[in-house]
Amino acid sequence: MGITDGILQGFSVALDPVNLLYVFAGVLIGTVIGVLPGLGPTATIALLLPLTYSIEPATAVILLAGIYYGSMYGGTITSVLLRLPGEAASVVTTFDGYQMAKQGRAGPALGIAAVGSFVGGTLSVVGLALLAPPLADLAVSFGPPEYVALTALGILLVTYLGSGTPLKSLAMAAVGLLLATVGQDPITGTTRFTFGSVQLFDGVDFVAVAMGLFGVGEILHSLERTEKVQAVTQRIKNIWPSRQDFRDSSGAIARGSVLGFVIGVLPGGGGVISSLASYALEKRRAKDPTRFGKGAIEGVAGPETANNASSTSAFIPLLTLGIPANVVLALIFGALLVQGITPGPQLISEEPEIFWGVIASMVVGNLMLLALNIPLVGVFVQLLRVRAGILAAFALLVTMAGVFSINNDSFDMWVVLVFGLVGWLMKKTGFEPGPLVLAFVLGEIMERAFRQSMLISGGSLDVFVTRPLSGGLFAVMALVVVVSLVTARRRRAAFRHVDPEGESDPATDPATEPAPEPRRTADTDVPSAPGER
Amino acid sequence: MRPLRPLAALLVTAAALTGCAQDSATVAAADYPSEEVRLIVPYAAGGPTDIAARALGAHLEGELGQPVVVENLPGASGATAYVELISAQPDGHTLSMTALPTAVLNYLTNDVGYTAADLAPVGVVTQVPSGIVVPADSPYPDLEALFAAARTDPQAVSVGTPGATNTHAAETRRITELYDVPLTVVPFDGNAEVQTALLGGNVTAGFMNLSQDVLPAVEDGQLRVLAVGTEEPLDYVDAPTFVEAGYPELTQSTTTFGLIAPAGTPEEVLTTLEDALRSAAEDAAVVEALDARYVPEEFLGSAELADLFTETEETFRDVVGD
Repeated sequence: MGITDGILQGFSVALDPVNLLYVFAGVLIGTVIGVLPGLGPTATIALLLPLTYSIEPATAVILLAGIYYGSMYGGTITSVLLRLPGEAASVVTTFDGYQMAKQGRAGPALGIAAVGSFVGGTLSVVGLALLAPPLADLAVSFGPPEYVALTALGILLVTYLGSGTPLKSLAMAAVGLLLATVGQDPITGTTRFTFGSVQLFDGVDFVAVAMGLFGVGEILHSLERTEKVQAVTQRIKNIWPSRQDFRDSSGAIARGSVLGFVIGVLPGGGGVISSLASYALEKRRAKDPTRFGKGAIEGVAGPETANNASSTSAFIPLLTLGIPANVVLALIFGALLVQGITPGPQLISEEPEIFWGVIASMVVGNLMLLALNIPLVGVFVQLLRVRAGILAAFALLVTMAGVFSINNDSFDMWVVLVFGLVGWLMKKTGFEPGPLVLAFVLGEIMERAFRQSMLISGGSLDVFVTRPLSGGLFAVMALVVVVSLVTARRRRAAFRHVDPEGESDPATDPATEPAPEPRRTADTDVPSAPGER
Repeated sequence: MRPLRPLAALLVTAAALTGCAQDSATVAAADYPSEEVRLIVPYAAGGPTDIAARALGAHLEGELGQPVVVENLPGASGATAYVELISAQPDGHTLSMTALPTAVLNYLTNDVGYTAADLAPVGVVTQVPSGIVVPADSPYPDLEALFAAARTDPQAVSVGTPGATNTHAAETRRITELYDVPLTVVPFDGNAEVQTALLGGNVTAGFMNLSQDVLPAVEDGQLRVLAVGTEEPLDYVDAPTFVEAGYPELTQSTTTFGLIAPAGTPEEVLTTLEDALRSAAEDAAVVEALDARYVPEEFLGSAELADLFTETEETFRDVVGD
């Protein structure tokens, strides 16, 4: 099927009244949870996952994707008005967005973010439509060694690029890999770590783990933070940015689109990294970098564009290779598996209505978001008055009923509760659940692929380096490790007298790193008010 | 202590959902069915077994005059569902779908809490054949050429199977054992992954189900079937049987979907159910929902399904489990 046919089919799916309703529901829920600090797209999608099991697979992905990119829009509002990132990817928007708001320019800040998000999202959809089908054709020839290389790269990048310290991220990834070994051995069928319990034969349920760590963990964590969000009194006017604003930020939006697209495709990439990278790039390119942090509109436009672009392009590895690039996509992967669809190279040809329908729905959804955000900012801000306790109780109820409905097995509810407690403790101690969950998902794929490779090659490890694709990927991995070790050492030397924690992000060039103060906020997935420390 | 409130609500909900009391009505077999019938599906909603169960459930509802509630209990290759089944009253109000030989291989491989002795077979619903499949451009024109290549170079032929403990892996190992053909079993996760590996040229052949998801690729020429695992040739697949190709022992790879009750279910109840199942196999609408290609031409009832359990157990006892 050609791209034109695909796009036509996609729009016939996306413009179906039911699907239109779900796109709208998705972007609205996304915006709302984006606005609310503490509830990010990961937690929300984890909580709502079971509700998608009874709807059509294409509709389910349309809804979940809508929540994901919708939250990228919504997060901006809280960042700009309250200097609280509504979700993690909007952390950098607090730097300049809040300063703009203080100068009475909250309107243009929100306006340019919405426009940038729209441009980034739309360009990224075009990229997805053009690049994914040829990539999927190529991916059919990917064998087990390539999957080993890809999953290993994903785990490596998620630990190195993660916002926490690499050591903690690595530890969490190791726990995730260990967790992935529970259950029947994929090659011999013998049981591991099941302690004689039939319930553990298929391993620990991924959805239950993710719902526990992200959903329940965040709910418990947010209940502890009792700080009251101050009501917004200031009226927001002149949302539509001025001609000068557009001139200032058009370059940032263009660069943010490309950067976000590329980072989104990388395993382990995603919202936070793309917006941080875009901010760093804009600051470096600026004629007068000192304006940054004092209300530079490029510092809002670039990152907001990038995080939306990345949330769209992150679908590429999932829909073509069956490998989720980040945790949100891992959840969508789970949703498709429950529907009996295994995402992989054959998805585009066998389930075209899912692939093209989701693409078309993204165009529709981005239009809806633009229409929603510009006039309704004031309404969304009122959401910040809902008491956390009410929200939490409701969310817990949905979680428990939802997880039970997956397998009709009460055992899974205990899994959620246990991992909820673990997730809460991890938050308190600064361990990120992201690497754990992604390593858990990728670990299963990696183990099976590794052992398949060994069977096919007759036990010879050469197969990983002699095949050009897997060899190339392993070379990239080696490069990442070497570069990060070198830059970490250099930075440690440079920053020793200034900031003892400066080595926390070895993949970023020290010269372009944003001010160290808000970086701490990015350390935890639930951002907390900077003043709280 | 506001934070504790949601926790309390949560615990109450959890307790309520966990402690669903078991129905302990004992009813004389003559009145059967006196209440709604639970039909457990050992696989996830939306899969082929689930679709078959729902078509069957709708028909049984009309035949038995009581509601039939289909319930999915996936997990542990069906063991979760069978353990739930045998813990219910053996009065015919709790039934389960089953898939052979997986249901047998399961307890031969691991201690999963049930054996065939705990189950009372009702009858066969559908039978899905398996076959050895190669990509269209494979250098092997027939089974003999493939096996000859394997005999020449024991590393040459890798065979993808949809799982590690299922019939296809076991049957492939039996080929190696019985006919001295060295084949490397490479287990994948499901039929779709084997198909991708075949199309990408990453395995030499696949031993897989010839189910609805694979047949289109065979029909449009992307895949070639070298042999099918049934006793009689199939009219919808252009390939010889293993028997015709000179391997008379290889007839155990067909997947049989059947209906089972807990052991101890009264004879009259089983007969009622068997009759209802027979009438389903004669109902055109049900047959179409199940896919006519997979409904056995002659109805296989309780005795035949019981024989199949025994036969499967005897065939695979020595191949798996150590």
